[in-house]
Amino acid sequence: MVVAEVPKLASAAEYFFKRGVEGKQFRPTILLLMATALNVRVTDALAAESADIVPSELRVRQRGIAEITEMIHVASLLHDDVLDDADTRRGVGSLNFVMGNKISVLAGDFLLSRACVALAALKNTEVVSLLATVVEHLVTGETMQMTSTTDQRHSMDYYMQKTYYKTASLISNSCKAIALLAGQSAEVAMLAYEYGKNLGLAFQLIDDVLDFTGTSASLGKGSLSDISHGIITAPILFAMEEFPQLRTVVNQLEKDPTNVDIALEYLGKSKGIQRTRELAIEHANLAAAAIGSLPETDDEDVKRSRRALIDLTHRVISRNK
Amino acid sequence: MLFTRGVCRISSKFLRNRSFSQTLLASHRLSIIIPEHGHSSPDTHKGYVCRGTTYSFSSPVFGGFRHHHLYHQSSSVVEEELDPFSLVADELSLLSNKLRAMVVAEVPKLASAAEYFFKRGVEGKQFRPTILLLMATALNVRVPEALAAESADIISSELRVRQRGIAEITEMIHVASLLHDDVLDDADTRRGVGSLNFVMGNKISVLAGDFLLSRACVALAALKNTEVVSLLATVVEHLVTGETMQMTSTTDQRHSMDYYMQKTYYKTASLISNSCKAVALLAGQSAEVAMLAFEYGKNLGLAFQLIDDVLDFTGTSASLGKGSLSDIRHGIITAPILFAMEEFPQLRNVVRQLEKDPTNVDIALEYLGKSNGIQRTRELAMEHANLAAAAIGSLPETDDEDVKRSRRALIDLTHRVITRNK
Repeated sequence: MVVAEVPKLASAAEYFFKRGVEGKQFRPTILLLMATALNVRVTDALAAESADIVPSELRVRQRGIAEITEMIHVASLLHDDVLDDADTRRGVGSLNFVMGNKISVLAGDFLLSRACVALAALKNTEVVSLLATVVEHLVTGETMQMTSTTDQRHSMDYYMQKTYYKTASLISNSCKAIALLAGQSAEVAMLAYEYGKNLGLAFQLIDDVLDFTGTSASLGKGSLSDISHGIITAPILFAMEEFPQLRTVVNQLEKDPTNVDIALEYLGKSKGIQRTRELAIEHANLAAAAIGSLPETDDEDVKRSRRALIDLTHRVISRNK
Repeated sequence: MLFTRGVCRISSKFLRNRSFSQTLLASHRLSIIIPEHGHSSPDTHKGYVCRGTTYSFSSPVFGGFRHHHLYHQSSSVVEEELDPFSLVADELSLLSNKLRAMVVAEVPKLASAAEYFFKRGVEGKQFRPTILLLMATALNVRVPEALAAESADIISSELRVRQRGIAEITEMIHVASLLHDDVLDDADTRRGVGSLNFVMGNKISVLAGDFLLSRACVALAALKNTEVVSLLATVVEHLVTGETMQMTSTTDQRHSMDYYMQKTYYKTASLISNSCKAVALLAGQSAEVAMLAFEYGKNLGLAFQLIDDVLDFTGTSASLGKGSLSDIRHGIITAPILFAMEEFPQLRNVVRQLEKDPTNVDIALEYLGKSNGIQRTRELAMEHANLAAAAIGSLPETDDEDVKRSRRALIDLTHRVITRNK
């Protein structure tokens, strides 16, 4: 789908879709599982009719959501890397580092436009609306990060809102789109949405913790990249509630690198890491509960996919890298 | 009665005073078309910018073209003066207000960035919305029996609101592409003011472009017409493809007229053609009529760009070298040079060296002057302008005066794109 007429654009666009650098494909995995979890099997009476065609066409369309979601996600990565002057992404040179900012902006635009065309082809304007809103949220989240005031940066509410926009909106709205394509009711669509939203938030919160703890449970073994870039995440925000003096340290983060060590000290004394984990577990549980509230089914495939979705809510918490 | 080419563009402020313009035009109702001298407006023109070149319709017409195409009017209704822009001026300001409301963002910095080019004074000529609003009226199918029952207020009808939506979406897509293009080109100015990237930085410009695009998509979805969504999504893809074609072409491609016309279609004409088609589809028109609307937009867009290319060389004078020459200085090879290269193969080498040695620009201009490049480009532009006018002429007959007037205005636009000289 990302093959382009113009060769240079083609190399740019497919850069992150090549084998080996396509990432964990976390989002498509969730969406495909969700598609099965919401699968409404035709009854025996209808089996005589070309029962294979309708379900498989639906599946193709739902896969389309997964593809579109990945394109939007990669497009936002390309633009973000340009905005952040990033050097590496997914273990290789970032596209802007390798080919320049211009082609990265263009490649991002190209992927977005291909996503729009693919969206249009689904012929479902509510789905178009949902995923267009996602793009808007991604932009808003990135801008919130770039342009916040000091008060905003110290606010947990602002942080959760930004995290929703930057991380959870894509997953929640694409889950909802999957449900809508399957002709599910508004209630079921909302359950799918809640799953995606809470899973996304849980994921990001643990991501924040791991940036401090890395592969070890103790502090300071993580990459510390957030705090080194002056990005204040949940653990620090919680710690600031316990130790107001941490605010001053945090304001000076970028001016004086030794402040990072001071901040880490406070963090170690505080319950910041623990409270963040607890919040993540809360959201993971909400996600699992959403799956549990889906309409009953006898179908083994459907049940298995739902168990897998619940299993994911455990894995986002227990992962340590 | 022959339809006279309207006098050259007078700014819309003047035309609010219709009697003034009527007086002006009465003296020009001749059966022979001659170059006319218009009234140039004292206010600074609001430029419509295409790839760094600004033009305005507001100056006197020079040049010695003849009209190849005259539109016969069958009725004996006395003609009013016809300024396409004033026909839709009120609706345009409705549209501008709506646009400003549509690009409001939660995050203040994003809001200032997104609305940067929608503020009063820098919203540009609104060329595209004008075309689309005229097209909407030109395709207005009025059912006489229902006339009494339905609201006579066309502007507020639901269809009209939706068609205005196409115009708004088109403007957002257009501005989004301008924002990204300026980042790509490291541009300093746009529409007479600092470019957004120059004023606020590349990052917020990239973000603002993305934001406008997403707003456009949301607005598109709200129209609940998947074919229209598809058309305008394709436009976005074409804009990107066209820009990339320009950035990454091989030497052979850069020397090819076919490649150039394809790129021009993608970069300039696709937006106009597909949005015209979308307006037709929303109006429930047949595929044939939709195709005529498409052909109008496409040919108008191509004619516009070709004249733009010429003006970059000739500027406000018919002679060479008085234009801004910005294309050729940036190594962008446009139609006049491509034609000249057919006559003088040695020009190819000169053109390859353009960016290495600025004196090559002068050499290239010499060749251009000796060649028929400028003339052939104008001729090609006129061909396309005629095709656009013919598309309007092929629309289904109508008795409705508003419809007829809008169609005349659309045809008038095909003349104006050719005769403008800056």
